[in-house]
Amino acid sequence: MINPVFMIAIPLILAFLSLVAARIKKWLLLSGVLINIAILFFLEKGETVIGGFKPPFGINLILDNYSMVGLALAGLLLLAGVVLSLDKADKYSTVLLTALAGINGMLLTGDLFNLFIFMEITIISAYILSTAGKKPEYSFNYLVIGSIGSVFYLAGLVVFYSLTGTLNMADLAAQNLSMGTPELLVPLFLIFTAFAIEAKLIPFGGWVKGVYGNSNRLTGALFASVYASTVLFVFGRVFNEVFALSGAVQTIIVLIGVVTFAFGEAAAFRQVKMRRILLYSSIGQSGLAAALFALGLIFPAVLLVISNAVSKFIMFSITGKLREIYKTDDYTDLKGVFFSNKLTGIAFSISAMSLIGLPLFFGFYAKLNALTALFNGGNWFIPAVILLFAIVEGAYFIRLLIALWAPGKEGEIADKSHAVGEIRIFNIKKSILVFILSLVILAAGLIPDLAGKLISSDSGFMGGDGPAFTMSQLKGGE
Amino acid sequence: MIRLASLLLILIGLYGIFSSRNVIKILIGVNVMELGVNIFIISVGFFKGGIAPILTADSFSSAMKFVDPLAQAMVLTSIVIGLGITALGLVFARKIHAQYDTYDLGAIGGGKDD
Amino acid sequence: MKKVFTAALVILFGVVLLFGLSKSIDIAGYGDGLIPGKAADAYINKNVTSGTGEIIFGETKNAETGSANMVTSVIANYRSFDTLGEVTVLFLAAVGVSLIMGKNSKEGKMKKSGFILRTSAGIIFPVMLITGIYIFTHGHLTPGGGFPGGSMIASSFLLLYLADENFKLKITGFKVAEGLAGTLYVMVGAVGLIIGGYFLINFLPTGVVGDLFSAGIIPVIYVLIGLKVGSEITGIVRDMHKEEVSV
Repeated sequence: MINPVFMIAIPLILAFLSLVAARIKKWLLLSGVLINIAILFFLEKGETVIGGFKPPFGINLILDNYSMVGLALAGLLLLAGVVLSLDKADKYSTVLLTALAGINGMLLTGDLFNLFIFMEITIISAYILSTAGKKPEYSFNYLVIGSIGSVFYLAGLVVFYSLTGTLNMADLAAQNLSMGTPELLVPLFLIFTAFAIEAKLIPFGGWVKGVYGNSNRLTGALFASVYASTVLFVFGRVFNEVFALSGAVQTIIVLIGVVTFAFGEAAAFRQVKMRRILLYSSIGQSGLAAALFALGLIFPAVLLVISNAVSKFIMFSITGKLREIYKTDDYTDLKGVFFSNKLTGIAFSISAMSLIGLPLFFGFYAKLNALTALFNGGNWFIPAVILLFAIVEGAYFIRLLIALWAPGKEGEIADKSHAVGEIRIFNIKKSILVFILSLVILAAGLIPDLAGKLISSDSGFMGGDGPAFTMSQLKGGE
Repeated sequence: MIRLASLLLILIGLYGIFSSRNVIKILIGVNVMELGVNIFIISVGFFKGGIAPILTADSFSSAMKFVDPLAQAMVLTSIVIGLGITALGLVFARKIHAQYDTYDLGAIGGGKDD
Repeated sequence: MKKVFTAALVILFGVVLLFGLSKSIDIAGYGDGLIPGKAADAYINKNVTSGTGEIIFGETKNAETGSANMVTSVIANYRSFDTLGEVTVLFLAAVGVSLIMGKNSKEGKMKKSGFILRTSAGIIFPVMLITGIYIFTHGHLTPGGGFPGGSMIASSFLLLYLADENFKLKITGFKVAEGLAGTLYVMVGAVGLIIGGYFLINFLPTGVVGDLFSAGIIPVIYVLIGLKVGSEITGIVRDMHKEEVSV
């Protein structure tokens, strides 16, 4: 059994070393993400105390099934991203290794101030990665909005510290502060703001358009999958186990999530640039996941986050590569581009159809779960919104797919000569990698019971027998 | 009053960020905000008559009234993070200037996407 | 017009913020941050793992942390993991600065400095350097520590830049120092895991509170932080000094 602290320590050591041995930093990065995956399945479950000081005085790491799913998702997608875009990742090796440490730290930590620090590491790495878009004004915009979030988070956290005298998540949860009361409304919202900015919720996600809209093959894929899913996982933990939402605060946060979902899907419908479509779709999905988390529907929210992360990873990777080849991501200029790239095209299509929520795909299972859970909770309003905007989502993704598959104008016979070009999007190895990733979505959709079992909260993850949520168990004890 | 003043600093910083189009002035706004939150943290950890949390020949015993060392540790962390963010922000500012020959975000015209 | 609108919005937000916070914390008050009941209580009395009673300066032996400076004991021992992250933040910022400024850009030229600055820089530089080193080696006894000490080292190099327009820093040594200091910090944590069973545990004897050689691994960590912060900020200063930005 390996101490979970190595999930953070190993990438950090490799990041520090990559500065000294700059020539081999690419290999350090590759070994870092590989080791990360390799030790993931041998980690010691439960609580790990750091420095030998028992919480709430020292810092603890918490590895339960929930953080395990988050770690596995982020680690695997980061590995795929690095392998797929190693040429671009080379320059950012040190940054990516540090980001890996930050992401793992965010998912593992059991202390709110420690979470703040790992969040800063992760976000600062995102600022640096965003400069790959060669639009420094957007990176600057992101940095300013992000630092407003950090200031608000600290201000809110300090109020909770002065009230309870602790920074530890489980200890704070054990104080049973009633989160619905007006006394805690503002500090809670200050903390929420920091997450809302990173989770792209309206009106805090003003930076997304510039950063995602100018992303490349590497950064777009990582932002929309690894970073987005990590933030949502932590959002789910903080607002379910640490601050159990209730009352007016819960209603407002759910409403913000639902409005974000509606806005994102509606805005995506009006775009012709692929990166824009994907970024607004990401905003929408993120809003829906945040709403589900805020309602306490953790399992469907986790399914949604996973389905969205994998799909967006594939779609952003392909879109970024298309832009590199054709210097545009306007889909009306890319008609029939998948005609000579069948494997890549199928991967893209599977991802899109899963996002729409067509049956047989993983996205369907995720959405079905969300709807069932909502209906069981007696909620009718949110399912109606989800179903309504699923039609919008379907409309723009199908339109996109038709344009990318069918060369030539409407009514013409599909022919190679009408396609924009016959350039290979990815070489054969990379197409197979992307294709396999998309098969995961398909397989998980075809055998939903298996997928559900792997990540459900009432069975052990990957055959392990650790508890699903450690935090609630720590609550009772010292 | 100190808490009120620190929250006022946060608001002044916010105003600076949202009202200014100049990159450097926006960064100054961010720094004023960070300063405000640092003072707020310190004020939360202070009580009247408390002494600085260092054992010396004069204040020799842990039984004496020391102020909250954790709040001060948090501020130190926050200052260092603020330093890192400011350094990065300044580099972004230089990059903006190199690319558009201006520090004024308004003059860039929102920047056309490629 | 836009400024008035912004001001109105900020004032509105301010009213909500002040009104909301006044319900959970005494917003106009000051000096009520009492310690009992907070985690900080145990940091002052050094009794997280075992109660040793009153801690007396210059007398108490082998206390939990042995650091006379309680803030240091929090930063470099109780919550050392936070500090590892904090160092990483600065490291990341330095890496970002050097990445964004570009490798191929040449160093900038500055105006020829005055006689007084040129002459006095040579005298002040070693004093600043030594003071910086003093501050981070005495971080467990006096105010200061790795971060202020490191910044002082960096500012001494900034002085050299200001004084001599032809001054160029051989950066490789600093890069190595930065990388190795960070690696060693994690290694110290890992050694603790092997010896004491916990990452970053204080595995050295903590000695008498107030002695220079006391507090176990705290001075070791602070020296590493000082070196790392010093070389990082020097690196940032050097990168910012570059003239051309490769777009």
